[in-house]
Amino acid sequence: MPDILSRHRPLALLAAVILVQVLLLAFQIKREHDVRLVRFWAVQLLTPAERVGTWSFSRVSGLWSGYIGLRDTRTENQRLKTEVEQLRMRNRELESRAAEGQRLAVLMNFREAHPEAPMIAAQVIGASADPTSHILFINRGERDRIRRNLAVITPDGVVGKVVEVFPSSAQVLLINDKESGVGALLADTRTHGVVKGSSDSNPHMEYVQNDEKIQPGESVLTSGEDRIFPKDLPIGTVESAAAGNPFQVIRLRPAARLDRLEEVLVLLSQQQLAPHKPEEASSAPPAAQSKQVGVSPAALPSAAAQKSPNRKSNFTVDANKAKPVAATSPAPETAAPNGSPAAGPNPPAPQR
Amino acid sequence: MLSTGAQSDSNIEVHRYYSGTVLIVAFLSLVLQAFLHKYGRWAELLDLPLLVTIYFGLSRRNPVTGLLLGATIGLLQDAVGHAYPIGMYGIAKTCVGYLASSVGARIDTEHPVSRFGLVFLLFHFHQAVLAITQRVLLNHPAPFFTLQLLLDSLVTASLAVILFILLDRLRRSS
Repeated sequence: MPDILSRHRPLALLAAVILVQVLLLAFQIKREHDVRLVRFWAVQLLTPAERVGTWSFSRVSGLWSGYIGLRDTRTENQRLKTEVEQLRMRNRELESRAAEGQRLAVLMNFREAHPEAPMIAAQVIGASADPTSHILFINRGERDRIRRNLAVITPDGVVGKVVEVFPSSAQVLLINDKESGVGALLADTRTHGVVKGSSDSNPHMEYVQNDEKIQPGESVLTSGEDRIFPKDLPIGTVESAAAGNPFQVIRLRPAARLDRLEEVLVLLSQQQLAPHKPEEASSAPPAAQSKQVGVSPAALPSAAAQKSPNRKSNFTVDANKAKPVAATSPAPETAAPNGSPAAGPNPPAPQR
Repeated sequence: MLSTGAQSDSNIEVHRYYSGTVLIVAFLSLVLQAFLHKYGRWAELLDLPLLVTIYFGLSRRNPVTGLLLGATIGLLQDAVGHAYPIGMYGIAKTCVGYLASSVGARIDTEHPVSRFGLVFLLFHFHQAVLAITQRVLLNHPAPFFTLQLLLDSLVTASLAVILFILLDRLRRSS
């Protein structure tokens, strides 16, 4: 290189002088956007190199992140899948517990709303294998002061009664079983009858005269005459009524969801459930208070949800049509200090 | 260095000038060029610094001396004038000085006809370099050849024949 320069010294000098002057011009001349030519050239010169560098870096980076960095991904994916499955199972368990908690909360509220009636919560642990019989098993037995012919209810309404007691469990006969019978009355007309199970899943109300006018949707309550169920507990609503021989054929829809029972309450006495909403009672108009007797619908939360066009409420008895319940139900049983109900003047008679 | 000159290896005679002659003549050409511009457009027909560059390039017959003289005269012309950024005339006259010196080292340039022809050609070469530089660096569509330029080149070449005879008198007798 030095030899070439010395051999062509004038030419090299010419090139050098011209180059210096071109650079001198480049420092003075401004192109578009007030950018000096030397800066424009520098950018033009360096941009391809920077572009090549950026492209190379992105390729290397992509190679690293797309291949080398993913060598543990399969293992991590398997681990995450396992973790997701575990979390799903855990989630389902928690959802189930939450639903159970809500159901128990409803039972607890109901129980707290009626401190005068001793009752105990029980969990349904089994059912009869015979499809024609409607029997449940609960996880309470003799150890929990359970005995035969105790009423089993939910906040929605009557479930059935205890028919067999074991040390730590008990057998419950549902109201839609053919062997079951519950003293009942129509809420509007106060007509008495007996609710019995039938061949289908819904119970029927029997012994109601054909001349009684019964509307579908009318509430049917316990009458207390069977000395098992306290008076005025909701049994269900009239689904259909037709004339029969010699009595009407009245088909009922149970108030309690008998096919989805998970937790129930066992009443330890026949103590009638008194109205329990002092704040509502005190805020209600005096005229309305004077007409409401028996159990308040607010006392049984879901009873109020059962709407029927021609009834006032599941547990509101019209004072004009019936005698006041509180006055006619003297509460024969009271809970003993040890939790077992003391025997009243009229011990419950088995109906089977 | 410019005033003392250098010996050429060729058979063609290398002329010498009294000390400071080249610098003084170049300076006077620049001053006269700037002075004449004040007196009308006809002065634009003349490019005295170009003629001085060509003359000393042809006489000295040394490419290095010629290109350095051309660069110096051109940069000073850029500095005096305001038409172009500094370096436009510098580049053009550097190339002209180098080419004139190279040509002067190979052919006899003492005859008026050859001087006229050389100046005519070098004038257009100067204009071509200037146009290229303007197009490339300034993005100006400068013309390579026009009738005006042809007229300018003829006037400049004619004047060069007279001016070169006058400048020959400044040579130092060997």
